[in-house]
Amino acid sequence: MFVYEKKLQYPVNIKTTNPRLAALIISQYGGPDGELGASLRYLSQRYSMPYPELKGLLTDIGTEELGHLEMVGTIVHQLTRNLTEEQIKQAGFDTYFIDHTTGVYPTAASGSPWSASSIQVCGDTIADLTEDLAADAAMM
Amino acid sequence: MQTEKPNETSCGTGKGSLPGACGSLAYPYISMQEPNPSRYSRGEALQTGTLFPGLNLPFKAAITANLKINNTALAELMALDFAVDELGLYLTTHPDDQEVLDLYWSYIKLAKEGREKYQKMYGPILQTDLTPEDGYAWLRDPWPWDKGGND
Repeated sequence: MFVYEKKLQYPVNIKTTNPRLAALIISQYGGPDGELGASLRYLSQRYSMPYPELKGLLTDIGTEELGHLEMVGTIVHQLTRNLTEEQIKQAGFDTYFIDHTTGVYPTAASGSPWSASSIQVCGDTIADLTEDLAADAAMM
Repeated sequence: MQTEKPNETSCGTGKGSLPGACGSLAYPYISMQEPNPSRYSRGEALQTGTLFPGLNLPFKAAITANLKINNTALAELMALDFAVDELGLYLTTHPDDQEVLDLYWSYIKLAKEGREKYQKMYGPILQTDLTPEDGYAWLRDPWPWDKGGND
């Protein structure tokens, strides 16, 4: 069961819009090593974990990643506020805008929509934890 | 003329070298955090992205040096909640560390107080928070992603 807290984990207050940056940061939302993949990776791997420490850890981290997802979504949202047509074209944000306007859509910066093929849940404790290490290292 | 390689780096059959130590071959290693590790203050922790100096990577320190969050009821609550998250993660792998467990409980208490203080000023954090004088305040703007949602 999940309960929503109406606050971010860390404040996001962006004063200057920047669609070019938003077009890159969207990858941290819905790219192969983004926060959506991270949360689903951890929360889905929990079920086959044999030890309480691991069940607890993947639950904690997967939940916190959902909080990260919300912060990244907020960053993209605030970077794309009140855009002019000129800004959209000049910034290279037009290819995103044509499909999603300024909605926050889970996609990689290179254009592939988020896909479960970018994560793995194989049910083997060590293999799944190793996958987590690789994904988390890529995010840093 | 060849010189003999010093034998001190040899870890023997079945072991390989790690920086400053030997370890079993072909196993990936993540070393275990030791009990009761040193900690940042909760404000510093929120700013740094970790409660534990030992887990703070140097390149992150360079980034966070330029960040400064305002000292508000929300920032204080975020700092407390972040410290609680971090201590909870630590306790998941170190459940017998009584000193950290005590700290965890004291931070949870503080966070509860901080939550009540914040809610009085800005409205409910949970949909189920009671706001009898204020009607159904849950829907009220700003939401966390809105302008002014993090003041």
